[in-house]
Amino acid sequence: MEEKSNGFARIGSAFSGFLAGIVQFFSEFGTALAGGDAFVKLSLIWWGAGHFRRKQYVKALLMTLLEVGIILFTFNFAMSYVPKFGTLGTVQAEQVFNIQTMQSEWNDYDNSFMILLFSLFSFVVWAASVVVCMRNVVNAYRLQMEAQQGHHINSFVEDVREYLDKKFHITLLTLPTLGIVIFTLIPMLLLILVAFTNYDQQHMPPTNLFTWVGFSNFVSLFGGGITSTFGYAFVRVLGWTIVWSFFATLTTYFGGILMSLLLNSKLTRCTRLWRTMLVVTIAVPQFVSLLLMRNFFANTGIMNTICANIGLTDFLRKIGLISTSYIPFLSAPIWAHVMIILINIWVGIPYQMLIATGVLMNLPTDQLESARMDGANPFQVFKSITMPYMLQVTGPALVTDFVKNFNNFNVIYLLTQDVYVTTNQFMANSQAKEVDLLVTWLFTLTQDYYNYKMASVIGIMVFVVCAIFTLIGFNFMIRGDKEGTYQ
Amino acid sequence: MTQSKLQPAVHLGKRNTKIILHNALIAFLCFVWIIPIVWLVCTSFSAYPGKNTSTFFPEEWSAIHYVKLLTPDTVNQFPTWFMNTFKIACWTCVISTLFVLMVAYAMSVMRFPARKGLMNLAVLLNLFPGMLSMIAVYFTLKTFGLTNSHIGLILVYSASSGLGYLIAKGFFDTVPRSLCEAARLDGCNEAMIFWKIVLPTSKPIIVYTVISSFLVPWMDFVYAKMILNAGISANYTVAVGLYKMLEKSLINTYFTQFCCGGVLVSIPISILFFIMQKFYVEGVTNGAVKG
Repeated sequence: MEEKSNGFARIGSAFSGFLAGIVQFFSEFGTALAGGDAFVKLSLIWWGAGHFRRKQYVKALLMTLLEVGIILFTFNFAMSYVPKFGTLGTVQAEQVFNIQTMQSEWNDYDNSFMILLFSLFSFVVWAASVVVCMRNVVNAYRLQMEAQQGHHINSFVEDVREYLDKKFHITLLTLPTLGIVIFTLIPMLLLILVAFTNYDQQHMPPTNLFTWVGFSNFVSLFGGGITSTFGYAFVRVLGWTIVWSFFATLTTYFGGILMSLLLNSKLTRCTRLWRTMLVVTIAVPQFVSLLLMRNFFANTGIMNTICANIGLTDFLRKIGLISTSYIPFLSAPIWAHVMIILINIWVGIPYQMLIATGVLMNLPTDQLESARMDGANPFQVFKSITMPYMLQVTGPALVTDFVKNFNNFNVIYLLTQDVYVTTNQFMANSQAKEVDLLVTWLFTLTQDYYNYKMASVIGIMVFVVCAIFTLIGFNFMIRGDKEGTYQ
Repeated sequence: MTQSKLQPAVHLGKRNTKIILHNALIAFLCFVWIIPIVWLVCTSFSAYPGKNTSTFFPEEWSAIHYVKLLTPDTVNQFPTWFMNTFKIACWTCVISTLFVLMVAYAMSVMRFPARKGLMNLAVLLNLFPGMLSMIAVYFTLKTFGLTNSHIGLILVYSASSGLGYLIAKGFFDTVPRSLCEAARLDGCNEAMIFWKIVLPTSKPIIVYTVISSFLVPWMDFVYAKMILNAGISANYTVAVGLYKMLEKSLINTYFTQFCCGGVLVSIPISILFFIMQKFYVEGVTNGAVKG
């Protein structure tokens, strides 16, 4: 059975586990190379050698073909990109008049982005082939040992059959892993690389080249200089992102628990009806419900009409809270900030209610009974029994929720895009708004302004901040866990 | 309940007021929660095409905009969008479900040296929010000519889905090991155990995985907007298409149709969501506890 560690306690050991795995991998390779016969050593150069020696001809052929494939890949594909990796290309795209055809033609130009992407791809392929090569030597050595001890050596058919039995995990994991490498791992590395280039609107391939600029994007985010507005905007956007994640997480978390207690109380009649009503609101896709909200609370929207009719708008103007003829629910700072958090409560509580209901169903009832016998009032029960239990079970999820809210693109983008226009010149200069989260800012920078270099830097910063918060969260949770076991 | 019967009448009266107040509070909260949905449905039946800003309920009722929505024009191609999304959702569903179940089985039932290491790696990769690598994903797709194509979108939704294996793994962990052992003794290999023993006993988690991955393309907005950016209306998914209807120049002609579209999309999604609801809770809490 699986040991009962929460996901976060495991992260701490993740790094050390990795290192141990890598050390073991290399030591196995070392032993194989030192103890292997000539054919095992030859496997380093000719991948099929070890299998050939043990009469596994089909496998030898396959390994040889794989090796040839990688060599062909290296010389026919990788070599036309990797040598330019240092400069990211030098030949600018130009139209040249060709006298022979009497037409303007494009010269043989360099595309910086292709060079970057395909070089990275080649590096990943090479790294993978080094691993395959080393594993192959280890396998050849294993075959040698089996042959020396007089064990049976698998035929090809038996080997294939193993992939449905003992090695079934390899069959299962190959495709999903490939998907993750191509769609998560390589993009992540690419993002990190772009942060060190000057890839922006003035340097757009294929017509223009971009190149390495070292840490200058990071400097323009943190240091002074002409682009210091980025630093100005970054601090403000980061500040609001943290405030938002904090409130969005806590309000929906506690709101959800309270709502669930309310619904599951013995006093409640027709629980299912109420629950269905709440769940309907999350079953409607966010792009429908949030876009609707945005029109509901628009400057000329229905909510403003109602507020004007009941005199709330006039009252607010009289006490000086607004200076416009409408209430700027989503179009002025502070108003928009508060409204976004309120609307998010509307979005988030039903989710948390569902989760809390599920968790609280398993709440040990004997504790509740004995507390009631001792004459504890409902609030005391909530404080000393319900909440500690909730925190113990969903505590780790609280940390993940925080990170999710930190990157909660939908709520912010769907509520404020095209509605909120910043009046702060410094923010506008760096294409940011007061209500932007780091991710929505990043999205605008790439989609509307093609400023990929700064977007990448911001992306890296988001990861760093998320990682820090998660680590703090782990420590907190791990300590909480230990206390739980001592009591 | 039994206790209250034994209590004197005065207490009973007090208890009744308590029940009424309690339920009134819940009714009020639910009322607040349901208002936007009511507004959505009501507005979709308005006879007026633009945004209704003066009254909550439409002044004139009509189902004309449902008819309009289902007859395509230059902006609105709802039936096409719906079919696009359906097609993408089906493919995503098949690929994601396979990937998730494959990874979950390997991690839950099988024991191999790299297992711990891979699980740790998955935890670390999950820390990177998918949103961050989207620029890079976009460019990778663009290089291979897969932007503005549904294949690109399907790949984006499903390629990395193997990382979300934890919920299914939590379920597979509860399948009795003795069953697998017995099958092994009978000469079954791992592949047969997977097909004949573990999958048939795991119907709930398969339903959960199928529905949740089917819902992804219906709920998603960001990736669709990013990848289908050429402005070809016939290519859109429902989310992108409906979002375009609310552009400043179009909102006054299409707002009611947007509401109709919202209602039509929400109905199938709600049904699926209600089926999935009970697994949803289990999944989230299981994932949190077992990690």
